[in-house]
Amino acid sequence: MNDLLRLLRLFKPYWNWAALGMGLSFITLLANVGLMAVSGWFITAMAMAGVAGASMNYFTPAALIRLAAIVRTAGRYGERLVTHEATFRMLAELRVWFYERIEPLAPAVLEQYRSGDVLSRIRADIDTLNNVYLRLLVPVVVAALATLVFVVVLLFYHPLLALLELSLLLVAGVLIPWLMNRLGHEAGQQSVETAAQLRSVLVSDLQGMGELLVYGAADDHAAHVQQLSQTLAAQQQTLSRLNGVAQGALGLCANLAMWGMLVLAIPLVRDHTIAPPELAMLALFALASFEAVLPLPLAFQSLGETLAAARRIFSLADQAAAVSEPAHPLPVPERLDFALRDVGFRYQPQGDAVLNGLTLDFPQGHKLAIVGVTGAGKSTLTSLLLRFREPTSGELLLGGQAIAHYSGEALRQHIAVVPQQTHLFNTTLRENLLLAKRDATDAELEAVCDTALIHDFITQQPGGYATWVGETGVRLSGGQAKRVAIARALLKPARLLILDEPTEGLDPETATQVMVNILAHVARNGQSLLLITHRAHGLEAMDQVLHLS
Amino acid sequence: MTTQSQPKPHKPAPEILTALKGWKTHSGFWLKAAVAIGLTSGLLLIVQAWLLANVVNAVVFAEASLADVMPSLWGLLALFLLRAGLAWASEQAAFHAAVQVKLAIRAQLYQKVQQLGSAWLTGERSGDLLNTLSDGVEALEAYYARYIPAMSLMALVPLAILVFVLANDWLSAVVMLVTAPLIPLFMILIGKGTEKRNQQQWQQLARMSAHFLDVIQGLTTLKLFNASRSEAQVVAQISDQYRQSTMSVLRVAFLSSFALEFFATVSIAIIAVLIGFRLFWGEMDFLYGFFVLLLAPEFYLPLRNMGTQYHARMAAIGAAEKMVEVLNTPNSPHPSLPPQGGKEQDVHPSSVLLPSPLAGEGLGMGGMFGVTISNISFTYPDARTALSNLSLDIHPNETLAIVGASGAGKTTLINLLMGFLQPQSGQILIGDTPLTAIAPEIWRKHLAWLPQKPQLFPGTVADNIRLGNPTATLTQVQAAAEQAYAAEFIVKLPQGYDTLIGEAGQGLSGGQVQRIALARAFLKDAPLVILDEATANLDRASETLVQAGVERLAQGRTLVMIAHRLRTVQTADRIVVLDQGTVSAIGTHAELLESSPLYQQMQAAYGGEA
Repeated sequence: MNDLLRLLRLFKPYWNWAALGMGLSFITLLANVGLMAVSGWFITAMAMAGVAGASMNYFTPAALIRLAAIVRTAGRYGERLVTHEATFRMLAELRVWFYERIEPLAPAVLEQYRSGDVLSRIRADIDTLNNVYLRLLVPVVVAALATLVFVVVLLFYHPLLALLELSLLLVAGVLIPWLMNRLGHEAGQQSVETAAQLRSVLVSDLQGMGELLVYGAADDHAAHVQQLSQTLAAQQQTLSRLNGVAQGALGLCANLAMWGMLVLAIPLVRDHTIAPPELAMLALFALASFEAVLPLPLAFQSLGETLAAARRIFSLADQAAAVSEPAHPLPVPERLDFALRDVGFRYQPQGDAVLNGLTLDFPQGHKLAIVGVTGAGKSTLTSLLLRFREPTSGELLLGGQAIAHYSGEALRQHIAVVPQQTHLFNTTLRENLLLAKRDATDAELEAVCDTALIHDFITQQPGGYATWVGETGVRLSGGQAKRVAIARALLKPARLLILDEPTEGLDPETATQVMVNILAHVARNGQSLLLITHRAHGLEAMDQVLHLS
Repeated sequence: MTTQSQPKPHKPAPEILTALKGWKTHSGFWLKAAVAIGLTSGLLLIVQAWLLANVVNAVVFAEASLADVMPSLWGLLALFLLRAGLAWASEQAAFHAAVQVKLAIRAQLYQKVQQLGSAWLTGERSGDLLNTLSDGVEALEAYYARYIPAMSLMALVPLAILVFVLANDWLSAVVMLVTAPLIPLFMILIGKGTEKRNQQQWQQLARMSAHFLDVIQGLTTLKLFNASRSEAQVVAQISDQYRQSTMSVLRVAFLSSFALEFFATVSIAIIAVLIGFRLFWGEMDFLYGFFVLLLAPEFYLPLRNMGTQYHARMAAIGAAEKMVEVLNTPNSPHPSLPPQGGKEQDVHPSSVLLPSPLAGEGLGMGGMFGVTISNISFTYPDARTALSNLSLDIHPNETLAIVGASGAGKTTLINLLMGFLQPQSGQILIGDTPLTAIAPEIWRKHLAWLPQKPQLFPGTVADNIRLGNPTATLTQVQAAAEQAYAAEFIVKLPQGYDTLIGEAGQGLSGGQVQRIALARAFLKDAPLVILDEATANLDRASETLVQAGVERLAQGRTLVMIAHRLRTVQTADRIVVLDQGTVSAIGTHAELLESSPLYQQMQAAYGGEA
């Protein structure tokens, strides 16, 4: 619940919008109930007047009916516009807030969330939180307010009528949703698990379809998928049954309210406590009033999802950054002379040391290669130099000062990196490259792409440098993406170039040529080079080779 | 960095709507049952209104006491209970209808993917397909369980109500008759214009969501280029732009439901007022007036429900688009491919059991066979020519390495060999039999395949080794693992051979996965092994073991491998150098070093790696 309150506080700038939307929703609901109730009263009263030959003021009720009809219609339209406007404003707020919270956490803290599934869960969670207003707040607040109004109105007629209405509204709006939620909890969880299981079976089946076919196991796996699919259907059926019961029960409550109203009110009519037209009015009023609780089962269901999503998002956003920035950073020196003195690093305080007692000088202009198998701490060293992480022991010096004296951002301005896992954004090739240097000219772009042996490929694309990459455009192979990333790193005016397995995914010939070009580029620009590789070849040109194990 | 959505024209193609309609047949009678129950409930509602009108009429105009009307009230109570039961039953029927469709479509899609095979199933496709097969299929539920029944009830229930209203009060019936068609008409008029924009909006929402994910995934990259902080503004800006453009669409889109609400509500008001005045003037009986007033909202209710089911339709169309695309992809024309040469004219698809040497039942057959590839060409649908007039003999029992730059046609060649692709011209002979005359599943009995990144499936280690031979005993599995140098690490796993493997082999190293895949090939014991050598980052010890396993597997078998490493190339019996879809040179390592300039170049490049 604290998470929910915190979420609401986050939306504070938009409380006005939110309140306006709820208000409109509330008025719309009242107009509808009023329309039905007044109509019932009106025609009964008119009929009685007609039979008695008496006169009556029919202008007011007729006008009321028309007013209610117009308020309902216009109110519904306004309500939908305002609640959507509010939702979109909150959505923007939430995304920016979340982004600003996790930006300092990248990459160290976010590394544990690298897998695509976790990321899409974050996305789904954010989407769930976006729905909190429309699906949870509006219905609950409106239902509560409306119930209050209904009960007060009925109290004017008879306390028993009010009690009947209140109890049935509570049954329909609170008890039934709560009960269904409880009863469906297990099946709901099972079906989520089965769906996840189905998904994971499908992942491996689709990726390994060739093997399934060659090894003749495709039919067995098809049967397995079908069986999981059926299990899922069976679990969903349990939920659907409950849902059917809930729906039936909700309708029954509304009808029972009307029925009870008749049973209680008919004697009141007979003893002249209430006027006959009010009988028709009360019956229709009771029936229509249940519109207030109709959206509550869904709201109840989304409450659980929302709380879980909020918990996950907040726990992620509340993590502490791995590196603390200095209050008064030193200016980054002209030359990036790094010195490592007995540097050690471990991810967990009790975990294995990834780096241990590393001592090394890496002055400006040097070409350093680090060779070692996976897990030997090569990439960790990069993180330390980039100030994404801090050594857990020993000293890392830049220009003779501990690296903690420099601001990470200022330092990274002078370092260009091709990480092992490159990321190209879902935009044009040009935009992807310009990330490294906003004001780069076309000639500069082409020069670095030439160096990375990707220029020819780009010009062959229909859109050239304006070609989109990623989901909306051309999909690049691993090797092509790598070369674009290399070009991007080369474009950055940096003093140190870090290449993490730059030739992975390239065929040997291209790899050799790209390395030759990179070395020429580095020499031309007086850059330092840190090459991280698990291959022991092409290291002749390096000044130092460090073997990590 | 600005990541604007790329505009993409979009229209819901008629074939998608046709397909969605066609899939209704999978639901059997459930869909009809759901509609029938809904209709029954609608009819009972009319009875309910009649009883209610009677009760109120009796109390107000006949001075009836509670006891007098109690029989009718009991009847009403029974109707309420019955209708609650029907609501439950219709939900059940609708659910069953949707489930049948979901199960059938998922099975169809899966089967189709099998037929299309792994050459079609590239990496990015498998991501899309995964969503289609899981979430996409689920998105069909609302369409069949809600939208379709609502559609039918929209036509039936108001019609039934209209009949009863007409019998009691022609004026109200006229109001209904005039206003009811206006509702769908206005919805269509307003909806037509907005549907397209609405759908674009949906796509844009998905893209905006994708953009956000893209930014989060690329956060490290942004940070490396010091662009991560300014990106917060881009996120805000894009969200804001999206809000403005969406709201401008919604202002119009909501008009259609505005029109619907307006006509429904105003019509009810008009009916109420008209009845009121006629009652006042004594032109009408209260009983009938009240009855009609009770029916009026129910007349418009199904029409109004339509509007709320709209999203279900949109979601289903979105999901069905991918499904139709997959289901309509033509299969590789196998094995009824028109014969290229003359002599296999007489081969009928039924005579798939081969003449020698493949006639023996798959595994038991010891005979080796050669493969003759003559003049095959292959062009991908995107007009990329992968192979042109390639000819190659694969000798029984040899180890043949295929080398070449990326794009030289290596992968295409092995896909053709495994029957995942069919050449546009030329033919592949297995022994003397054209590959086109052999049913793929028979042919694949003679194959084992080790892809670059072997796939492990959820299940135990033993299950994974048994992939090609589900009935193999544990002893056989152990023997295969032994031969593949996998036994040593498997027995150290927590439950040994019964250890469950997580998604994509979590917890196992690349080399261990390779060795499990090798054990698979040993257990299958197929005469022809096709291997795409791993380029992944294996540790040295693992790489040596995998290498040794492969060499052992090659003994007594024909091995065709795409080679990436110098060592494996050197030990091959023959090396084929592919260049732009043709064979540039064939020979042993020593021969090629002499004769092939291309091979020399490659060696220079491979060279440092030795």
